Amino acid sequence: MSQSGSYIRIESVSRRYGQVRALDSVTLDIVKEEFISILGPSGSGKSTLLRLIAGLDRPTEGRIHFEGKDVTDLPPHKRGIGMVFQEFLLFPHRTVRENLAFPLRMRREPQAVIDERLEWVAGVLSLTTLLDRYPNQLSGGQQQRVALGRGLVARPTLLLLDEPLANLDRELRQEMEIEIRRYQRQLGIPFVYVTHNQEEALSMSDRIAVINNGRLEALGERQSIYDHPKTPFVARFVGKSSRFQGTVRPDGTTVRLARHDHEFALPQGATTLKAGDAVDIFVKNERFDIAKKADGGAGIPCTVIDVVLRGPFLEYILETDRGDTVIAVKPKRNDPLPIQERVLLSWNPADCHIFKAGG
Amino acid sequence: MQNDNLQRRLLLDIPSGFLLLFFVLPLIALVVLSFWQTENYKIVREWTLLNYGTLATESAYITFFLRSLAMAVGVGVALVAISWPIAYYIVRYGGRYRTIFSLLLVIPFLSGEVLRLIALQGMLGPAGLVNGALIRMGAAPLRMIMYSNAASFIAFIYLYLPLVITTIYLSLINFDFRLAHAASACGANRFRVFTEVVWPLNLSGTVVGFMLAFIPTLSASLVPRFLGGPNGTLYGMSMAQQFGESGTWALGAAMGVVLFLFSAIALAILSFGVDLRRTGFTGLGRQ
Repeated sequence: MSQSGSYIRIESVSRRYGQVRALDSVTLDIVKEEFISILGPSGSGKSTLLRLIAGLDRPTEGRIHFEGKDVTDLPPHKRGIGMVFQEFLLFPHRTVRENLAFPLRMRREPQAVIDERLEWVAGVLSLTTLLDRYPNQLSGGQQQRVALGRGLVARPTLLLLDEPLANLDRELRQEMEIEIRRYQRQLGIPFVYVTHNQEEALSMSDRIAVINNGRLEALGERQSIYDHPKTPFVARFVGKSSRFQGTVRPDGTTVRLARHDHEFALPQGATTLKAGDAVDIFVKNERFDIAKKADGGAGIPCTVIDVVLRGPFLEYILETDRGDTVIAVKPKRNDPLPIQERVLLSWNPADCHIFKAGG
Repeated sequence: MQNDNLQRRLLLDIPSGFLLLFFVLPLIALVVLSFWQTENYKIVREWTLLNYGTLATESAYITFFLRSLAMAVGVGVALVAISWPIAYYIVRYGGRYRTIFSLLLVIPFLSGEVLRLIALQGMLGPAGLVNGALIRMGAAPLRMIMYSNAASFIAFIYLYLPLVITTIYLSLINFDFRLAHAASACGANRFRVFTEVVWPLNLSGTVVGFMLAFIPTLSASLVPRFLGGPNGTLYGMSMAQQFGESGTWALGAAMGVVLFLFSAIALAILSFGVDLRRTGFTGLGRQ
């Protein structure tokens, strides 16, 4: 990855609005040919970061470089970017053809180039039959493809995508995820994809940057972000998980839950925790083990409240004896546990993420 | 069902009746009168095209008309040019005060038009504020703005500026400025963002603003009377005189018909000339 060097460099960039720090000293290197997601809850500063990269906003501090060139003070139209917006923002007074040709015309490309690029983009995005329509004559998915085409048509240095799938229905979204990923591979330019939807981030990205409260919370390969969260926020935000509270026992090797009658061995990696520390434990919903209580063993005693069928998976809605609800995801079986069954909930200590409480 | 029908009838029939009685009938009366004659302050009910003949051949009327037309076009264009930046800045940078700014524009309307014209006379006349100050400073007074077409022009701008700014303001406040960001991200510089996106998408509002200044200017009678001076007679002023001092009502009616037709033609050209699709008009409002 590093041999191609840093293509886009974001260097300690901050953006303040009055007293509010929308973005606080974020440093990020984006490599050519990578798909990077900026993931965060709404108001975390992820869209601010995207607007700074686009040049629609200027950082209060820090510099932004494209291919070694400082572009911090350049307006958007001199940065050679493509951008796709959540609300599509197609020009309503222009046909699909004119919308797609817009970035080329702005770059004063000759007509032959415009025609050639139009043909390419209409072919790739299957828009050939829609070229003479106006945006309000298109479905949401078609508008989305036009917006994507308008972003890609002029061979941008990088493509910025601001929650482009948020306005689409679920099925279409999953289709588009695959498509977008395919275009990125074909074009070999970086895609910077802003989203609050961790599924989108996980399904498409090479790397994920998690942003919270204006700070870069984590940056890494999607697998490691998912499996080895470095902070409680990432553990909670990426993937679906349940949180438990507990304390490290005096022996320093086991953790006892605060609200439930259950203990488990402290995972190997958690060396910073000492005896007596209060801890937060996060367990991904698909990492739970469920055993019938009648079979014996250790675990949190629960009752099965409901079973939800999610295609190949089953979601067990469990209620602990203390009244908390926990969701455990298991592969579909022909003989699921019946409702009202008494079970014991546990997990492999290596599969949970454990942090000092209040951290 | 019965009730529904009654409601619909009330909603439709009352306004229609009102329009018929006070708008269509007077217009028909005007058209009829324009084909009659007036002699010694009496109406002669004989069908004739004489009035229109007079208007088409007598050089004074042709001059008045062309002067009015040039004035109306000039005023309309100048007002659009002045109002755009003002409305734009209120919408973009007015922040939470922009409603107040837009209301301030209405203040001149709180007094009557005659009063405003007299005030303007005080500003522009030979002993007015502008020329008075120039004379005080030992400079020559500006003859240009004393009872002239230039004075009328200034007055029209003053009278209709709030209307045009308000119209363009209303258009711009409903414009989605994120489209300008999108254009900018597509490589358009500020000038092209304006010409490619902002201007075309606010063209309908701009045309309405232009018409709101153009039509009353074309038929104006008060402004030239107060400020126009000897060479500033406009068509509407001449028309008013036909109904007043000269008592040639039939000729006045014919002038009224000419004005009506011209305004209608201007309206038609502008509304059919502007392709609504190309101004982002979907019939559904902003989506």
